[in-house]
Amino acid sequence: MDEDSSEHGTAEQWPAGGALLDEVPRDGGVEGPIVIANEFADVVVTRVHTRNGVRLDIWSPRRGTRVQLDAVELDCLSYQEPETFTEMLERKPGG
Amino acid sequence: MTATGTSEGVQRMLADMREGVLQGRVPARIFNDQEIFDLERDKLFSTAWCFLAHESEIPKNGDYVVRYIANNSIIVVRDEHGNINANLNMCRHRGNMMCKSEMGNASHFRCSYHGWVYKNSGELIGVPYFKEGYEGQLDKKQWGMIKIRIDTYAGLIFGTLDPQAPSLDEYLGGFQFYLDIYLRQGAGGSEVHGPPDHWVAETDWKICAENFSGDGYHTPVAHQFGFHLGYFPSSGATHSEGWAVHIPDKGHGIGLGHTPGMPPFFGYPDELVEQMRGSLSAEQIEVFSKTRTAVGSVFPNLSFLIQPFSLVPGEPGVRFCTMRLWHPIGPGRMEMWSWCLVPKDASDEYKEAAYKAYTLTFGQAGTFEQDDFENWTRVTKAAGATAVRDVDFPYVMGLERPRLADFPGPGYAVSPYVTDTNFRNLWSTWLDYLTREA
Ligand code: FES
Ligand SMILES: [Fe+2]
Repeated sequence: MDEDSSEHGTAEQWPAGGALLDEVPRDGGVEGPIVIANEFADVVVTRVHTRNGVRLDIWSPRRGTRVQLDAVELDCLSYQEPETFTEMLERKPGG
Repeated sequence: MTATGTSEGVQRMLADMREGVLQGRVPARIFNDQEIFDLERDKLFSTAWCFLAHESEIPKNGDYVVRYIANNSIIVVRDEHGNINANLNMCRHRGNMMCKSEMGNASHFRCSYHGWVYKNSGELIGVPYFKEGYEGQLDKKQWGMIKIRIDTYAGLIFGTLDPQAPSLDEYLGGFQFYLDIYLRQGAGGSEVHGPPDHWVAETDWKICAENFSGDGYHTPVAHQFGFHLGYFPSSGATHSEGWAVHIPDKGHGIGLGHTPGMPPFFGYPDELVEQMRGSLSAEQIEVFSKTRTAVGSVFPNLSFLIQPFSLVPGEPGVRFCTMRLWHPIGPGRMEMWSWCLVPKDASDEYKEAAYKAYTLTFGQAGTFEQDDFENWTRVTKAAGATAVRDVDFPYVMGLERPRLADFPGPGYAVSPYVTDTNFRNLWSTWLDYLTREA
């Protein structure tokens, strides 16, 4: 590991076997919306184009909420600890 | 002393059974009776180590399955840090069921009643109207999901409701030696192949647990098609040959059937045999290489079977392995889970062939499965009939048979394979639990 990456944790600190890190995406979902659902929530994910770029649209039809994330925001999500999402749900658990 | 609420008749039957089992008698009534079912729930399943899931059923973070110990629904989940957790499948707020799906993937569980949110490891983290409603009165740390004590052996996840229970290691008591034939097929061990078959049967769980503790006796009759059509490499003339082994006072038992002249490790692919020669002990190799059929049960209700079976009659057999859980849901009634276990390191072709052999024999519509449940359901019915209440069955086979002095594995081994020896140990262990002081 080089110096730079240590502030985000080294690879060894990340959960290894079970963490989906070894999965190479096979389907980019560019043909249409992707539905991500489990028994607790469901969202529809699509790529949306602006005049000058692209964002990822996350839509929760049951809740009626929607957000568009750009590459920097998504990149930022990619190095969060699971606890970050727990904190988000702590602040706004939702009904 | 048995639990309050147990009638004098049942108390007397259990008291008489103590001597009866030693002499080779078991009462029919235990196989279909409300009071026995209640006692099993309160005294056996509340203290024993009970099988929950195989680690390979929850390989990725957030993967979960819902399983049971007695009437308790339990979520078995791999959390966001890769650790396995088991919690009661119940929201701590008012007791709503948390997971309604039998399997899924979630980082957090959100209750469908008032919306409390838990980490998948069970900690309560989100409460709607926390500030406005609770005004600081609710300490979230105290109201997480209820943990179930778990432990693992070679991929098997067990749970117990008894905080005082001895360790799983002690509970298995040497039976691990035999479990390895199912769980350490090849260097990488075993994994489940697909989701389990799952159904309800009008059968008492104990009939199945007994059968899988080494009932080689029924095979040439109940499954005679397998012999006659050339699916199964054994013959009626030699079928009694082999070993029966049990762990005294622990209830675990296994039958290890032999076919004279069968090549060592018959039915396994060569590369797996090579791996097993490195990963198994010399004693295990001596026992397993000769074994055609290994049919064993971990007390109380988890069983395994490994044997070769030909996909096309007359062709060389393929080894398949099934793991099954006989889960009681009422007197004479059970829910069945049946998995196919395959060697993790085997080729996809071999895994598919083994899965086919499993499905042909022990899937829900499998031929062996149909043969067995036809008989078991009728046995259950008879056991619940009024004229059968006081009837005993004979368990005298092998009563005088000496223990093998030079057997290479742990436990109490006898030969031949056809015997009631394991079953007497099963029933006396069962009796120990049912008559134990609270
Ligand atoms: S019962 Fe689960 S939040 Fe009320
Ligand atoms: Fe059978």
